[in-house]
Amino acid sequence: MPPRLPLGAHRALSSPSVVQVQVRLQRRSASSSPTSSDIYDVVCVGGGPAGLSLLTGLRASPVTSGLKVALIEGQDLQKNRLQKDASLESFSNRCSSLTPASVRNLQEIGAWSHANTARIQPYQEMQVWDGVSDARISFDWDSARPLLSARKPSQPTTIAYMIENINTTTTLLSRLSELGGVDIFSPTKVESIELGTDAEQLDLSSWPILTLSNGKTLAARLLVGADGANSPVRTFAGIPSRGFDYNRHGVVASLKLEGPGWGGLDHKIAYQRFLPSGPLAMLPMPGNMAALVWSTTPERASKLKSLSPNDFVAMVNAGFRLSATDLEYLHTMPSGQEEEIAWREKHTPANERSIPMKVTDVQQGSVASFPLKMRHADVYTGERVALVGDAAHTIHPLAGQGLNQGQGDAAALVRTISHAVQTGQDIGSVLALESYNSERYAENNAMLGVCDKLHRLYSVESGPIVGLRSLGLRAVDAMGPLKGFFMDRAAGRA
Amino acid sequence: MAPPAQLANCVRGTFRASSFRPTLWRQRCLYHSYEYSQPPPFPPAEAAILSSAISHVPAFGFTLDALKLGARDAGYLDVSTNLLPRGVFDLVNYHLVMQRLALKDSVQFPTEAEQGTGKKIGIGAKVRTLTLARLRANEPVIHRWQEALAIMAQPSYAPPSFAELAKLADEIWFLAGDTSVDTSWYTKRASLSAIYSATEVFMTQDTSKNFAETEQFLDARLEDVRKFGGFLGALGEWADFTGHSAVNVLRSKGLRI
Repeated sequence: MPPRLPLGAHRALSSPSVVQVQVRLQRRSASSSPTSSDIYDVVCVGGGPAGLSLLTGLRASPVTSGLKVALIEGQDLQKNRLQKDASLESFSNRCSSLTPASVRNLQEIGAWSHANTARIQPYQEMQVWDGVSDARISFDWDSARPLLSARKPSQPTTIAYMIENINTTTTLLSRLSELGGVDIFSPTKVESIELGTDAEQLDLSSWPILTLSNGKTLAARLLVGADGANSPVRTFAGIPSRGFDYNRHGVVASLKLEGPGWGGLDHKIAYQRFLPSGPLAMLPMPGNMAALVWSTTPERASKLKSLSPNDFVAMVNAGFRLSATDLEYLHTMPSGQEEEIAWREKHTPANERSIPMKVTDVQQGSVASFPLKMRHADVYTGERVALVGDAAHTIHPLAGQGLNQGQGDAAALVRTISHAVQTGQDIGSVLALESYNSERYAENNAMLGVCDKLHRLYSVESGPIVGLRSLGLRAVDAMGPLKGFFMDRAAGRA
Repeated sequence: MAPPAQLANCVRGTFRASSFRPTLWRQRCLYHSYEYSQPPPFPPAEAAILSSAISHVPAFGFTLDALKLGARDAGYLDVSTNLLPRGVFDLVNYHLVMQRLALKDSVQFPTEAEQGTGKKIGIGAKVRTLTLARLRANEPVIHRWQEALAIMAQPSYAPPSFAELAKLADEIWFLAGDTSVDTSWYTKRASLSAIYSATEVFMTQDTSKNFAETEQFLDARLEDVRKFGGFLGALGEWADFTGHSAVNVLRSKGLRI
């Protein structure tokens, strides 16, 4: 059976006369199986950063640009685009940090030049400290250089780039429309995915057939699931996904600070404080703006969301300044946190320059929360199926690696597909896809594991673990080369 | 002809009696049955002496004196306490068994139909109510209960005491409606036994009004178990995930496992 598949498919795709016959036959019998014009080499479900990056990569490479590709997205991609003249005073609350490795990948596929750079904020330093013991580590390339060697001018200074997710998708869509050649079905939902049938001319019995909400049916030589954590493609492929819920919510908001930060506009700093309830991070955005990610218990998250803007701003300031005990009490107050915090801050000594500048305002309607969980699919590939991004893995946001893992997946899958095309393999076969799984699985698993352990390590409120983790953090901070190694890993430069 | 027949009858009779009793005993001890009502736990004479003796415990404690007074009240001679080979332990045991069996009548939970749309009582809340009801049943003799604990701790009486504790834990979980058939069947009973015995000892020292502190103590222990159970559950989940991901990583590297 397997040898028949590619042969039959190739015939249908390569010789026009057969295609015609096929079309007429199908029309006469009025069956619901796809006509040969609906047979695609790659069908990507989900138009998020990972899916778009994959398609752009396929179109941009001369090897794979001959493939017939389609994109299916439930939301309207044209409507959800970033306006060119969008105000720099207002930012979406869904932001990510792109590592230099992800940016390099975007440059390689020609997308980075389409980005709205005014809305992207590179940052050069990261301050991370323990909310219980105040042990601190500072990440910047200058302090992470090897001993006794001067800093090379060519060495990068940027740790990562803060970018709104909508900016990433708009960037990729612009590059994709420049390249052309992708059949985009948007807004269109996937109604069902089933295996095809063995017809006279065409054996599609191992091919996934997608029925769309607009009535069309598509057959996919390779079906790519970039459709998020509850991936229907993964369900179709019967790939189990394991993991656990952290019983934590991530509260996000767009904030306005009293200034551009202690390093000025050219040296932006990201801050992260590990509180026992979860890490609290403030990431720099252009100008005086900043993005907040506060991982906390679901009860506290709903409490924070219900606060008035003034109280919310006061709570964020308190989150970086006051002790865990103070914060616990503040969360039990029904309202009036602003005055209470103003009083408490006077009695809590803090080095203002080591914590982010004070928040002055929160963008209206930008406070939202989402549950944190960890999931990892057992395998990324199946017969004519590949998973990328959140469909394959969901990670704790404390290291800001989720979007970057998806970009890494997309780049690896493009490499795998182009190798299969170059060597004349069927791109949907398990054998051709094997290298994608072997390239990405262990790497993603390690990153998931590190973030999971960090979360657990810093959930501890007291006891010897607090002392040990503080000692470890200070030791790493003092050892430049070791710190450089960690920074290299986080930057995707391993 | 007659004597052998009589003998045979007699033999058959004893045989029947001896084979009959274990069956009953097995029914009583090994499972809870809704179809058959349980036979009384003690023979009539023993029950008469012990039930009258219990009423003398508040004054005389778990002692031979209480037993003798009980025998007199029931109309037996003092020497008839020899019916009870284990002496005062039989008196303690009688209290334990009767209070355990009384539990199903003293605590009634509304059935699901009666409850209607109201909030459902969880198994945890039922266990707490039952445990508290059983502890309160010790109230009339609580000032003498340390004597009883001392008797139960004697080496020859410790095994039956533990067996009775296990039966009590089983009874409480059964009445609470627990139907687990996995290893948690054992861990639930073991943890409840530990909590119950600890709370019982605490109660003998409790001087608070209406045993409010005992109630707090019980709640704190139940909370401990809940937390520990949550921790074990999370640990199991994590171990399961880590095991699977290790296998998956090896598979992704081409190992056929």
